[in-house]
Amino acid sequence: MAKNEPGHWQLGSGNMEKILSEVAAHKGESLWQDAWRRLRRNKAAFYSLIFLILFAVTSFIAPLLPIASPMALTLQEEPQPPSWPWDGTQLETQPGSQATSSLGAVLNNGWRHRSTITFNTEGDNLDTVATELSDMIEEVTGRTTAINRVASKGDKPAQLFFGIPNEADDTPRTDWEKTGNEGKVTFFGTSAGGWLVLDLPVDEALFNSWSTVVDKRKGNFYLVPIEGNQAGLRYEFDLPHPFEGGVKGITFNGRNLPADGKLADLSVAAEASDDAVDVAPLTWDSPEEDAAGEAAPVAPKGPIASLAEAPLESPTIHLLVQLGETKNVLLDGFDLRDDTTVISQGDSRDKVLFFRANTTAKEFQGTFHQDLKRQLDSALASLSLADGATATLIEVESENGYDWDMNGISHLMINVRGKVFGLWQTGNWMGTDSKGRDIFSRIIWGSRTSLMVAFWATLTSLLIGVTYGAFSGYKGGKVDNAMMRFVDILYSLPFIFVVIFLITLTNEYKTELDEFGLDREVIFYLVIGAIYWLTMARVVRGQVLSLKNAEFIEAARVLGASTKRILFVHLVPNVLSIVIVYLTLTIPAVMLFEAFLSFLGMGIEPPKVSWGTLAVDGTEAINPLKIFWWLVFFPAMAMGSTLLALNILGDGLRDALDPKLRGKD
Amino acid sequence: MSAPLLEVKDLHKHFPIGSTGFRGLPKSYLHAVDGVSFNLHKGETLGLVGESGCGKSTTARAVIGLHPATSGSIKYEGKELVGGSTSDWMPYRRKMQMIFQDPYASLDPRQTVGSILAEPLKVHKMGRPNWRKTRTMELLEAVGLNPRHIHRYPHEFSGGQRQRIGIARALALEPDVIICDEPVSALDVSIQAQVINLLQELQERFDLAYLFIAHDLAVVRHICKRVAVMYLGRIVEIADRDDLFADPQHPYTRSLLSAIPHPDPVFERSRERIVLQGDVPSPLDPPSGCSFHPRCPEIDGVPKDRCKTEQPKLVAVAGESRETSCHLTCPVPAR
Amino acid sequence: MWFAVTLFCVVTISFFMMRSVRGGPFDGERTLDPAIERNIEARYHLDWPLPKQYFQYVGPFNLDEHRAEIFGGDGSKVFGGVTMLEFGPSFKYKDFTVDQIISQSLPISALLGMVAMMWALALGVSAGIASALKRGSRLDLAMRLAATGGIALPNFVIAGFLIIFFVFMIPLLPVAGWGSVKYMLLPGFALGAPYAAYIARLTRTGMLEVLSQDHIRTAHAKGLAPKTVIMRHALKGGLLPVVSYLGPAIAGVLTGSLVIEKIFKIPGLGTHFINSALNRDYTLAMGVTILFTVLIYSMNTIVDLAYTMLDPRIDLEEM
Repeated sequence: MAKNEPGHWQLGSGNMEKILSEVAAHKGESLWQDAWRRLRRNKAAFYSLIFLILFAVTSFIAPLLPIASPMALTLQEEPQPPSWPWDGTQLETQPGSQATSSLGAVLNNGWRHRSTITFNTEGDNLDTVATELSDMIEEVTGRTTAINRVASKGDKPAQLFFGIPNEADDTPRTDWEKTGNEGKVTFFGTSAGGWLVLDLPVDEALFNSWSTVVDKRKGNFYLVPIEGNQAGLRYEFDLPHPFEGGVKGITFNGRNLPADGKLADLSVAAEASDDAVDVAPLTWDSPEEDAAGEAAPVAPKGPIASLAEAPLESPTIHLLVQLGETKNVLLDGFDLRDDTTVISQGDSRDKVLFFRANTTAKEFQGTFHQDLKRQLDSALASLSLADGATATLIEVESENGYDWDMNGISHLMINVRGKVFGLWQTGNWMGTDSKGRDIFSRIIWGSRTSLMVAFWATLTSLLIGVTYGAFSGYKGGKVDNAMMRFVDILYSLPFIFVVIFLITLTNEYKTELDEFGLDREVIFYLVIGAIYWLTMARVVRGQVLSLKNAEFIEAARVLGASTKRILFVHLVPNVLSIVIVYLTLTIPAVMLFEAFLSFLGMGIEPPKVSWGTLAVDGTEAINPLKIFWWLVFFPAMAMGSTLLALNILGDGLRDALDPKLRGKD
Repeated sequence: MSAPLLEVKDLHKHFPIGSTGFRGLPKSYLHAVDGVSFNLHKGETLGLVGESGCGKSTTARAVIGLHPATSGSIKYEGKELVGGSTSDWMPYRRKMQMIFQDPYASLDPRQTVGSILAEPLKVHKMGRPNWRKTRTMELLEAVGLNPRHIHRYPHEFSGGQRQRIGIARALALEPDVIICDEPVSALDVSIQAQVINLLQELQERFDLAYLFIAHDLAVVRHICKRVAVMYLGRIVEIADRDDLFADPQHPYTRSLLSAIPHPDPVFERSRERIVLQGDVPSPLDPPSGCSFHPRCPEIDGVPKDRCKTEQPKLVAVAGESRETSCHLTCPVPAR
Repeated sequence: MWFAVTLFCVVTISFFMMRSVRGGPFDGERTLDPAIERNIEARYHLDWPLPKQYFQYVGPFNLDEHRAEIFGGDGSKVFGGVTMLEFGPSFKYKDFTVDQIISQSLPISALLGMVAMMWALALGVSAGIASALKRGSRLDLAMRLAATGGIALPNFVIAGFLIIFFVFMIPLLPVAGWGSVKYMLLPGFALGAPYAAYIARLTRTGMLEVLSQDHIRTAHAKGLAPKTVIMRHALKGGLLPVVSYLGPAIAGVLTGSLVIEKIFKIPGLGTHFINSALNRDYTLAMGVTILFTVLIYSMNTIVDLAYTMLDPRIDLEEM
């Protein structure tokens, strides 16, 4: 029978086109809409849903919120007791008030990298001392400060911690002694990595010797990259115009250049300067080629004689001197990444060389503090504190704020946060823990972990469970039997052991996994998901089994619908509702499991935070002397309310979507 | 008489029972349909009656190919369908359609009526989308529903309306034969009449043949031209409606008919009713010989050996378009 | 039969996974003298090819010619392997065999688990009955709230609260350790609390269902005392869902004890398992894993049996 051949029967009155335009008003209510109506009527479930949406949004936009850093912000040598801000005595954070305007500044400064300046103070009025010191620091550094105070206790003096933002051009710590060349190093970058710009002074003697090369003509001096890590100096000078008589030869540092331009023995020129600098081939550029661009490295060219014979108009002569490997020239203190070291072109006017080298963030130490400490010390010496109080500068230390990788969106959000709130942040509303970290912020940042777990683990369990269950149920018979038997076996396994085992395994193979681009945490999430598919598989299988013999499936078969069509048009949408119900019940289970594993120390690793690690901190801080109840209470409340809401929502969804309650009423 | 549209001969359907043994062979078989034969002509209605579990629905499902028949033959216009592949069946899906028993279970709860009705058209690639849309509305109108309701969902309709949707779906492919698997037994009595009338009306309009399965004899009497009585997977008697109801030949048919209450109370009280003893034997382990013999009231306690040992064959009764399978009422000489 | 298959899978998979992990148990901070290392490897048969190690582990084959050196004694005793319930020497605790460690810590864990289940059952069932009988009352509401809270909160958080309340605020009980009954109360409760909550919910639903049934109404109508009706008639049907939940509950209690033992510093099996996994103490970790598999499997079977006994409608064949 031909395709697209319509039926022959005469049916109906034939004015359907007219009616067709009216039918939009007769739209029915699908089961989904019906379920949504029912869910909305169920107060508890509906509020749970709203709560959960708020929770998800909050944890997603955590980088945007002006909350304190969940990381340790003070580098105190001894752990401080956890603090509770509302009794007002112990520790207090005075947030910086001045909004920083530049986006880049926020990315690199202030919130993310900061330096702590520690003073021991003696005096009656700590607040006055703090203000005075703060003013002093702001004057010296030109940056805003945030203050932490610790009152004196026993024989320990009162301590003041000042936080100041680090900036992009703060000098990293370098070991100049090993290079012999002292210069200026600037670090640009983020926590994920960055680059160093090193400007080193050019050796004066070398420069002068080169400038006398041809008739003491003045030329320009360039730094050029050669292949690999090699750096070269190019001396460029113009010949008189019009050039007459040709070049007979060039005297370089008292020697004649050979006619073929190869200056193998010219390395003596470097003797006067650093060992690492050696002079290598001199090359000649003919003017024609010169036009093609002067930045390109030039290979040794033909003899000078040919140059002389050519009719030249404003000829330029290039001398290229190889300086050696940048790494040798540069810094021993930096372990530069081999693959990315580059040399950029510099300028001879300031007699400096600019080297640009990529590096990882770990190397950034921030040595401007060495200098800062000296400056502060001298400033402190000339400062007379009120009421005869004394202050001693103990140390200046820099630290990285977030030491965990953040994706582009999080970075963007941090930038926006910087734009909007600047350095302003909330106080420690829920207290701090023994490392001075803000509990409120840690709960919110920890919820991101829970969200990730919920997402990845549930996705995994969904994929495995639905595929497995649907296949088993659809096949039926022996296959179904065997597959369900397998599930039974897995049910009786002590899964926690398997998981712990798998996780220790991934720890062993961390580096290999990194090479595959697999994050340990993602694997951790996947492992959790991989064990939570059993119930899903059972439920889906049961549903498929009962649907498979449902009359509407038979009806579709009678119509001649293909297996694919039956599967995707009829089976999947009908299984979906029950899958959604079990999904909402799987999410709290996996979140709980993550907390459980993190509690055992098998999950999220510091400095990242999850609710499990919060609970560990809480229980570890329990001691008979003082009850730091906020360490236990707030994380427990966060976890409890979220899991509770998920459970209630799951129950509500089950009521709303359960097909058994449906249809015949 | 013209050649039958649908010719079913010696249809068997066995289901393996219990877990499979170690050699991969099932322990036993359930003989749901055990040699059923009948013909169905164009425009005719054949009733198939019997107790629950006698294999009526299985017969229907085997005929339409839902449960592939174990053995036997199903011929549609002379073309053998048993053992055919899915693609062999495809053209005959347009010729034979089915109406299901439970109007609540036979419609996909997640699809609108429009897409339920458009599905057969889509599957068989009939027409273009626009035509399909108007066609579904025409179909709705043809079964007496408001065509404006194509965007509604099944759960928004009553049982009778849903069954009408089921009928419309069966009509969509313009079949010649519709197998009605107890189409009204799940409905209220008042609705039953409406649906039956609709079915009759459609039959006249489109010259449909029905294989009408029911356990309600009154309904069968109303709608069917011929009636087949099934017992334990076999047809025990098949005859024109009037003949069957006026003069049932098989003891089982007789007992079945005697269960119909008579409207006249006086007659009803005096009427003798045949009440069968015992339960229907398990189809797993059917009795030897005539499967009805353990309950047969006409053996009179003195079972004839032949009833116990020899399975009666369905034979035509002389002078009538009737076939019966009983050693007592329609004796056939033993071979 | 399925039990054997399960066990076989567990033993085999865990054996090969353990051995495939890089980094042996003796990778300490200092490098050992190669000779010593060889000796140690010989002692634990790490120098054998994997299949041989495996068969040795599963047993009972006598593959070892110098067993006397390993186990001491005169060498008459053959290492039985897993089939003879011998799990070999521990890699970390060099003077102990895994069997010894297990036999020391299993009673502790079992006791803890029992206390937890007792808490769970006692609290859960009584709360469930109470809230079913006083349906809609404030008591019911409070019980249900507590139950949802108990389900939502992980046991280590509950443990934290318990310690704060009962150890520091009201110094009644010891904070950690193991010994007399009072050491068991808190960890037992913390371990059992989520299950108590769940059992309470199940009991309540089950009881409500049973109480509305005809035979209970009949019993009341007969004039039986309400107590008798509840105890003798309603309870049996109402507790059926609880019984079927016991299997998962016991499994949960067993695995949950990992955390509780860590908090309360109880020297049970869970502690050993975590340590062994971290220390790459293969034999100990495997021994504990196998033991837990057996425990959970047999508990499930026992629960199934109990369920069949309580409810005659359920046939074991169908389960």
